[in-house]
Amino acid sequence: MDRRKFLKNSALASSLFFVPNFVKAFESVASERLGYKRLVIVQLAGGNDGLNTIIPHNNDLYYNARPKLAITKDIIKLNDDLGFHPSLSPLRALFDNGELSIINNVGYPNPVRSHFRSMDIWQTASGSDEYLQSGWLGRYLDQHGKQPYNAIEIDEQLSLAMKGEHFNGIATNDFRVLYNSAKDPYFKNVLSHYNDAHLSEHNLGYLYQTMIEAKSSANYIFEHTDVKTSQETYPQNAFAKQLKNVAQFINSDLDTKVFYASLGGFDTHANQNNKQTKLLSQYAGSVAAFVNDLKRNDTFKDTLILTFSEFGRRVKQNAANGTDHGAANNVFVIGKGLKQAGFYNDLASLNDLDTNGDLKYNVDFRSVYATILSKWMDVSVEEIIPSQQKQLNFI
Amino acid sequence: MALKELQHLYWRAGFGIHPETMHALPKRRNDVVEQLFADSKSSTPLQLDLSFMEGVTIKKIKDNPEFAKDIRDKSRKKLRDLNYAWIHQLAQPKELLREKMTLFWANHFVCKSNNVVFAQQFNNTLRVHALGDFKAFVKAISKEAAMLKYLNGNQNRKAKPNENFARELMELFTLGEGHYSETAIKESARAFTGYNHDFEGNFNFKNKQHDEGLKTFFGKTGNFSGDDIVDIILENKQCAVFISDKIYRYFVNPKPNKKHIQAMAEVFFKDYNIENLMRFVFLSDWFYDESNIGSKIKSPIEYLVGLTNTVPVTFEKERDLIKIQKLLGQTLLDPPNVAGWKGDKAWIDANTIMVRLKLPSVILNNAVIASGEHDEFKKKFMKKHKGKLPFKTQPNWTAFLENFEAVETKDLQDYMLQGTINKGTSDYLKTLRKVSKQAYCVQLMSLPEYQMC
Repeated sequence: MDRRKFLKNSALASSLFFVPNFVKAFESVASERLGYKRLVIVQLAGGNDGLNTIIPHNNDLYYNARPKLAITKDIIKLNDDLGFHPSLSPLRALFDNGELSIINNVGYPNPVRSHFRSMDIWQTASGSDEYLQSGWLGRYLDQHGKQPYNAIEIDEQLSLAMKGEHFNGIATNDFRVLYNSAKDPYFKNVLSHYNDAHLSEHNLGYLYQTMIEAKSSANYIFEHTDVKTSQETYPQNAFAKQLKNVAQFINSDLDTKVFYASLGGFDTHANQNNKQTKLLSQYAGSVAAFVNDLKRNDTFKDTLILTFSEFGRRVKQNAANGTDHGAANNVFVIGKGLKQAGFYNDLASLNDLDTNGDLKYNVDFRSVYATILSKWMDVSVEEIIPSQQKQLNFI
Repeated sequence: MALKELQHLYWRAGFGIHPETMHALPKRRNDVVEQLFADSKSSTPLQLDLSFMEGVTIKKIKDNPEFAKDIRDKSRKKLRDLNYAWIHQLAQPKELLREKMTLFWANHFVCKSNNVVFAQQFNNTLRVHALGDFKAFVKAISKEAAMLKYLNGNQNRKAKPNENFARELMELFTLGEGHYSETAIKESARAFTGYNHDFEGNFNFKNKQHDEGLKTFFGKTGNFSGDDIVDIILENKQCAVFISDKIYRYFVNPKPNKKHIQAMAEVFFKDYNIENLMRFVFLSDWFYDESNIGSKIKSPIEYLVGLTNTVPVTFEKERDLIKIQKLLGQTLLDPPNVAGWKGDKAWIDANTIMVRLKLPSVILNNAVIASGEHDEFKKKFMKKHKGKLPFKTQPNWTAFLENFEAVETKDLQDYMLQGTINKGTSDYLKTLRKVSKQAYCVQLMSLPEYQMC
């Protein structure tokens, strides 16, 4: 246990109140700046077909279940059993460098096959029979956040994942618009007159407080973001733009621990192949550019990228050359110094499917979260992940 | 009734009130409240033209994937229409209190359906029972096609019970967490086996799938039906307490007051009549306590409907209505999950507060909030968007001026804001020049105080 942790955890913590301010200030600078770890979440919305992403190219069961849909050409073979979809070629270097860990068969007990509900489960880290109204990253903010900009989502509105019980992150598609909108002279006048006496506990006090935080977050992001830090060429698509934004924030050293980006359209019930080829290529091309961008600025070593989808898809293809909603799926973890790069575990048996004909999970997604929280973010998992989860070994 | 009390009542029983309507109301509290109930005796259902479903059968859908897709697309479009129709009904209600109650119940009996026929029918069931007998209400909900689908009641069979509905029935709809056991869930799920619906959305009880065996539930044993289970649950006073608590936090104050909630539960437990419960609330002196006035953060729908109640607005593209609901964090017919919207402080984050503060000026006044200063935002924004605003609207200022004719501009805040204004803000408002009633209206709507009701 390091000194700071010891001080924080020990019964002596209260004596910190007597430590001169400059010592405390020094401590916080030291711990926040040295090895400032950041987490980037990438959500593939709609349910990405994991089996055509990481392909069991040596498995007859796979080809039999998908006579028209199985990928047969240009598979990027990573070992004797598994290979990348051709669109993932930009990620090949990461795999070879030990900067990508693929965790197979991630899911949860009694999987739900509704997009909305399953996304809800992933975002709140709940079980399939419980309903939580705060997200796992939001609860992280409840414990460790100080300002909304500690967690930024690149979107117009905030996902449930980023909403805590009493603290939220901030969403922005374009930080300049956010800044200009918060800068309205009328708001400035209102706030300069605002008198916060006796209001902080009251709902109205909360509104003013949030307005002040929104304004200061908008200012902070605008003033501290140096767009010139990002010189990498990104592919031309909206998802790449999101990641480029994230890279600008990271490379400008914003005090932001969590970023959230999302790519949608994976709900491929019909004519899957064209659609998925395009989406995976957008994903892989953008992520590869993003990683290069971070590497160039020496920020990759302190960034971890987690990619997930709300569920995988049925093993057997359907009549419309697509796949229906399934269950367990793979998760990608990208970062420097992974403990177990490459394949974290084997693909679950295609011979032993659940009653719906879907892959069975053997890694609970909440244990992936728990591992990231404790081994990467260096925080206690309790209070954030409601169920007891074992730690994994990928970082 | 004092101006403040009347406005408070109308914000909670509806979406605010303007001076013109106020003058036409009776003077005594009792009469005003009784008129609210009298006006809500009838019920006006939402009725979209759903003729695209005529002649559609399960077989046709199964046999023809193209046809099925076409029907799904049409249904999705109609769901948006249903959303608009509901908003319009809230904005121009024939039965004000009934509509407000319907909105409340939609976040109690939370349900979502992609089938527009089921969704509309469910919505109208909420409306019919909104002020009626709670017992009949719960039973009707348990038989709704949308709910049977949403909580997997249609998969609940004798051989393989599905407990989803039974669990939520007790946890979210009647008793609250901690007031039932896992055994109670298992036993009651058996009583609901065989519940199903047909393609048109009618309730369809499948005898063969119903478990006729003995069930032991809350200390009673018998061959219980689903309706019996509802009766037994409601014998527990906890149900009256649970519902009273929820109504109190929605209609009175997000901070619960045990004494008042207990008094409500006593009234409700007598006959589970919702109208009697609401009458008790609206006639109680404590309802009009200073501490309750302006204590609640408007939900996005209350905010939006209230705003158009003050200044009627037409959106050139109806789809913008959905966009705005999304930005504000509440899209009707699209709840986050069966627990519904959390409400209160959860409505507000750094994004939604900025949207709320900026929206009135955007939809009413080309994004301008008068401040006597040069507006850099407006200039840059208009340049970037080539003079286009995100929403094209037509505000009806004439209606506003008519409705507020009797009010002097300098007094407008007394009619538009509920509760106390922050001292500093109030001082600032006094310094404003108030050149026009419209401009001052937009200024008031662009305040944190306007978010309260």
